Amino acid sequence: MSINRLPTSAGLLLIVFLIQEAFINRINFFMGGFALYLAFTIAWILREERSSAILIGFISGLIADLSPTLEAPFGLWTFTMTGLAFIISNYVRGALDSSISPLALTFVTTLLSSFALILFIIFGAILGQEVSSLGVLARELIGNALWTFVLAPIYVPVAIKTHKVSLTAREK
Amino acid sequence: MATRGTNRARLLLVTLLVTSLLLITLDLRGVSLVSSVRGFTQTALTPFQSFGSSLLSPIGQLFSDLFNINNTRERIAELEDENQELKAQVILNEDIQGELKQLKGVLDLAGKAKFRTVSARVISKGGTATISETIVIDQGSKAGIKRDMTVIAASGLVGVVKSTTTNAAVVMLMSDPSFRIGVRIAGSQFMGVLSGEGQGIFSLQMLSAAAQISVGDVLLSRGSSGDAPFVPGVPVGKITFVENAAGQLTKQARVQSFVDLNSIGVVSVVLDSLGNNPGDALVPAAPRPAPTVTVFVTPSPSE
Repeated sequence: MSINRLPTSAGLLLIVFLIQEAFINRINFFMGGFALYLAFTIAWILREERSSAILIGFISGLIADLSPTLEAPFGLWTFTMTGLAFIISNYVRGALDSSISPLALTFVTTLLSSFALILFIIFGAILGQEVSSLGVLARELIGNALWTFVLAPIYVPVAIKTHKVSLTAREK
Repeated sequence: MATRGTNRARLLLVTLLVTSLLLITLDLRGVSLVSSVRGFTQTALTPFQSFGSSLLSPIGQLFSDLFNINNTRERIAELEDENQELKAQVILNEDIQGELKQLKGVLDLAGKAKFRTVSARVISKGGTATISETIVIDQGSKAGIKRDMTVIAASGLVGVVKSTTTNAAVVMLMSDPSFRIGVRIAGSQFMGVLSGEGQGIFSLQMLSAAAQISVGDVLLSRGSSGDAPFVPGVPVGKITFVENAAGQLTKQARVQSFVDLNSIGVVSVVLDSLGNNPGDALVPAAPRPAPTVTVFVTPSPSE
């Protein structure tokens, strides 16, 4: 990954983070909510090479940690997203066909988004964070998965185009 | 070449994971630089959140309403009857009216308790990715709000101020899993601890084995030393279910909060209780039964 891509990528991710914090969080979604930023980042990471994916995972986690309503220690999302990006680039991306159908991509993004939340909850619990009851967590996870799946036709193409915008002329 | 690339990726992974662990350690050790980063973010986000709040306020409930469309149909028939009446009021923004109603309610509550408060609008909520129950309000340290101040709405307790910036504050809702508050039962004065469990579920653990509790009992905040984080006498909720499991040392119960935490638009932050303890004065009045009219009919003598 070219070092020149870092400011562009970070800027684009910051814009999505802003949309999440200022607009998406304000909507009362049915069954929990929708983590647009998380889904968008995963859809982006799925397009990246191994090193780039890890770096994008780290930057996106760092931005997610900026959320003022976050109870977890600063760095927990960074840790989670870096690890997740490694898993995606190492095990998921290689297993996916290059001509993957949009539906399959939607399924993968939804599953990985739920997996990221579960990892975050587990790491948080290990660090001593209070965890909601299983019923509440299940509702949040199912709600997020539902909306991540339903709204995928909107954000996945945007994530793919945004990823292309972030590429340098040489990488294109 | 592939091995070289793999090694490079692994080295990068280890470096970044260690960096993130370092950040976690610094935050857990209370390094001010790390904690002030979120304060700075909130300051930067506040104008966008205010804009988002005003933009999305009328359609914020859209998605949840879509899934309740069957119930909504029944309501449509009733609402059509009220349509004519509402046309007269259409000039007024319904959203603002709702907020004014909430504001009046919360000011009435604060006035009854003689608390000094500052009112604020809710401009954002904690997202799914935060796994916490929080809201953001549009007043901060500039209005005198500090960490650990009690936040109330028209019907009672909402939560406690977690952090502030100049023009905004993050409030931990009472439904957050880490939320705990000392409560007493109005009337009997038995004490207990109420804890949030997320999504409007609350559990009450009584402190005394002799405590008598029953469904419908009203819980009030017990108050904290120096009124931080809780001022006394604020209505918290009412008991909906008493658990009577054998072998329990103290009684436990399920509680329903007085405030609907999903639909709060305006709140008040208690700046100072002015030394007042309202006692049981803030207990919500029971709903009045509808007046009945008895009509006596005396049959007229048949001719």
